[in-house]
Amino acid sequence: MVEKIKTELGAALKEIPIGESDYRERGYHLFAEVASSDLLNVARFFDERGFYLAALICVDYLEYLELVYIFSNHVSLCKVKVALKIEPARPVAPTISTIFDCACWYEREIREFFGVTFEGHPNMTYLFLHEGIDYYPLRKGQIPVSDEDKKSLGSFRPEGGEDTFCVNLGPQHPSTHGVLRVVLKMDGEYIEEAEPVLGYLHRMHEKMAENRGYLQFLPNTGRMDYLGAMSFNLGYVTAVERLCGIAVPDRANYVRVIATELNRLSSHLMWLGAYLADLGALTPFLFVFDDREQINDILEPVTGSRLTYCYFRFGGLYNDVDEAFIAGTKAFIERMKGRFSLYEKLVTGNVIFINRTRGIGVIAKERARKQAVSGPVLRATGIAMDMRKTEPCAAYGEMDFDVPVGTRGDALDMYHVRVKEMENAVKIIEQALAGLPEGPIMTEKVPKKLKPPKGDLYHTVETPRGELGIYIVSDESDTPYRMKWRVPSFSNLMVFPELAKGNLLADAVAILGSLDLVIPEIDR
Amino acid sequence: MEQIVNMIGWEALKMIIGLVGVLVFVVLNALILTWAERKVAGHMQRRIGPKEVGPYGLIQPIADALKLLGKEILTPRAVDRPLYFLAPIIIFVPVLVSFIVIPFDASLLVKDINVGILLILAFSSLSVLSILMAGWGSNNKYALIGAIRSVAQNIAYEIPLLLALLPVIMMVNSFSLKSIVEAQKGLWFVFYQPLAFCIYFVAGVAETNRTPFDLPEAESELVAGYHTEYSGMRFALFFLAEYTNIFIVSAIAVTFFLGGYQGPFLPGIVWFLLKSYLLVFVIMWLRWTYPRVRFDQLLNISWKALIPLAFINLLITGGLLKL
Amino acid sequence: MEKVLNLARANSLWPMTFGLACCAIEMMSTAMSRFDLDRFGAGVFRGTPRQADLMIVTGTVTKKMAPVLVTLYEQMPSPKWVIAMGNCAISGGPFVFEGQYNVIEGVDLLVPVDVYVPGCPPRPEGLLEGFLKLEEKITGKRSFPGPENRW
Repeated sequence: MVEKIKTELGAALKEIPIGESDYRERGYHLFAEVASSDLLNVARFFDERGFYLAALICVDYLEYLELVYIFSNHVSLCKVKVALKIEPARPVAPTISTIFDCACWYEREIREFFGVTFEGHPNMTYLFLHEGIDYYPLRKGQIPVSDEDKKSLGSFRPEGGEDTFCVNLGPQHPSTHGVLRVVLKMDGEYIEEAEPVLGYLHRMHEKMAENRGYLQFLPNTGRMDYLGAMSFNLGYVTAVERLCGIAVPDRANYVRVIATELNRLSSHLMWLGAYLADLGALTPFLFVFDDREQINDILEPVTGSRLTYCYFRFGGLYNDVDEAFIAGTKAFIERMKGRFSLYEKLVTGNVIFINRTRGIGVIAKERARKQAVSGPVLRATGIAMDMRKTEPCAAYGEMDFDVPVGTRGDALDMYHVRVKEMENAVKIIEQALAGLPEGPIMTEKVPKKLKPPKGDLYHTVETPRGELGIYIVSDESDTPYRMKWRVPSFSNLMVFPELAKGNLLADAVAILGSLDLVIPEIDR
Repeated sequence: MEQIVNMIGWEALKMIIGLVGVLVFVVLNALILTWAERKVAGHMQRRIGPKEVGPYGLIQPIADALKLLGKEILTPRAVDRPLYFLAPIIIFVPVLVSFIVIPFDASLLVKDINVGILLILAFSSLSVLSILMAGWGSNNKYALIGAIRSVAQNIAYEIPLLLALLPVIMMVNSFSLKSIVEAQKGLWFVFYQPLAFCIYFVAGVAETNRTPFDLPEAESELVAGYHTEYSGMRFALFFLAEYTNIFIVSAIAVTFFLGGYQGPFLPGIVWFLLKSYLLVFVIMWLRWTYPRVRFDQLLNISWKALIPLAFINLLITGGLLKL
Repeated sequence: MEKVLNLARANSLWPMTFGLACCAIEMMSTAMSRFDLDRFGAGVFRGTPRQADLMIVTGTVTKKMAPVLVTLYEQMPSPKWVIAMGNCAISGGPFVFEGQYNVIEGVDLLVPVDVYVPGCPPRPEGLLEGFLKLEEKITGKRSFPGPENRW
């Protein structure tokens, strides 16, 4: 696949050299540097071949700004990095949101954080920030926001029409999503337009990454997605280890797998409870928390926290698991298998639940690719892609599990996919426990202040919500030069406005729940 | 005492005592039901409900009531004043009127009106009006959406309610609730009319806006539905009316289908209360088990399922009675 | 009379759901089966500020969220109380660094706070202790045995 793309891309862009890079060090197979005029052709090229835009990143090297486009593939592993250099004084670039819909919000984010104007973009208003922030936050050095930028960025005003009125869903609402505000333009009970407004929990993680050492940033990863904190930890730690070339002992890898899968179980259980609470059934919420407390009981003596874990270290773990952990996990797994039948009876066969979720929020495969949807949402549409199989990190390569796929792409399919993923998690934990090797848990001689070699890396990992991508640019100092987090909920939320159009308000809430969003990771 | 009786007449005195008794019962019932709801919810969710406030949490509803009384009475600036103030008062009228005709025992009845059930059904339509007043007068989009949903729901479910009660009325040939109970001396009507009982129960749960039909106050979608802007004592009145409605629905089900106050050994009123509270427990059980039905599915259930079934039942009953 | 009313208010605090970030999950855990908050009368989490009398601020308050928080606080009828849960609500938490532009360093810059519950996130027992401290603040005495002073 990689060779094929290289020859075809070379034929399409004749003047531009295509370089090959070591996938293990860089996270992408090919890279190319293009000019502004070629960008649309390149985007069309990848669109025709079934690629999706995994991430769009902007890095501020003081003499120029670089836009990095990472194209990836659902079918076979092939990642291509396309870089575009623009000048810092008046940064302008063409938009590719006409070809890849997901670029719409990626470009809005870059506009408000870096000041890059995208020509032809339909909607350049504030996504995360608000009026009152007077300089572009992620540029090095304080570059003030120009007046025309201020005017165009702050021009979103929700207004109703003659027969329609605007209703806010949030930012404070009784469902458990967090601070997400969706402005709905409604015609009676039907929704005409849905516009999410983000940024109510923007905690400047990316800016903090540039001011902190690699180890000092580790607690932040747990707070970004507090329900799947172990997988964010895993992604970050394996990314930095890959950048520095640190090898991890086998026992640490197995324990990492066990901990991450326990967390995945916990996150999916929480989603189940919250989704049913959204639909009105308040009792499964409590049963689910019971299971979560059991998981907390197992993980807390080993990791030290109940919710925002910070367990992994560069080179392994900081605390070894003991007999109590292993015995507790075995007992928990036995119990959990019985609980699955409880949830079957309570939820899966419930007629009201099926009527509320069947046929609601159907995502077509083509839309899923263009919007860069990932995770259980993608698998429910029928595309079988799981990062744990395509790019295994830790000990996932040695585990045997299948990838559950849905058929229709509606909310009921997403429910079934997540339940099967929970069963898979139990299977993986059993296998990992059975094969847990003895040995050290931490490699020797890992420096306290890590200074990775110069270069960049795009590393992906499968969180309970989807594909998490971490792009680190390192300049040999002990703080990262730029760290960008490509979070799955951000891309999954982009599908929501087109899904909600024409639906009832109750359905919109059901769709929002089925996407499994966690707002702090969207707002970063 | 003699002078009062001479002034207003014996009947009127009985009415006044009855009404006072009804008011006391309504308040007591609401207190018991709020406590019972939280305890039942707690035990179904594998935890215990209120426990610290008094033994077994029995003083909890009194603490709730005192707290609500002591709240600042807040009127938002942009509300429609007459509607906003009158809505919680009007929601109480059908509740109190319904209690006049329900027989708690053979002789414990405020007044045995011969069109008893018609009175109850007519006044229960008034509660729809008060919900609409609350929603519109609050000048709040969520309240308005909740009120409109409630109006559609209540109107749709009144018809199967009535149609389910008609076969019993036809069998007894009277609208008076007392005669309906008396006519069940042989066998309770639930054995003659099981389908009507089920239809009546479902329609009754929908009329009281309880889960699975609680769209007007859907918590996760519209912040609190039609009583979003009410606080303190006014909110307490809505609460009170909802719980009393639950009791009335169960009481009518007991009167029509489950034999009213009849039963061996124990006095009639004890049987009546036992049966009614059993049905109330079933309604609470439903709340904590099922998710919410979507709005169009709700109307579909009523118009496409309940009403045809009720009509068929009515026809069969009429035919059998003729023969 | 005031004493009886205070006792009633302390035993029937209805919180408003104001979960912003990670601490919200711990608040939900406190209301769940293991650390039941309904025992103390605080079971009913009302969604609308008009019917609640306690606002538990759980999570980071950003500048975009600040007007929303103040509006909700003012919509609550008095008497009302605020519990600041978690380090972010107390003083900005781990997100305060030089050059930060979006986090409000402590919710007490916006609304008056009655009880501070520290932790990141605090354990559910910590939140329960905060509740009992609030009860003590309202009624003047504490009705549930406290932790024994061991040092």
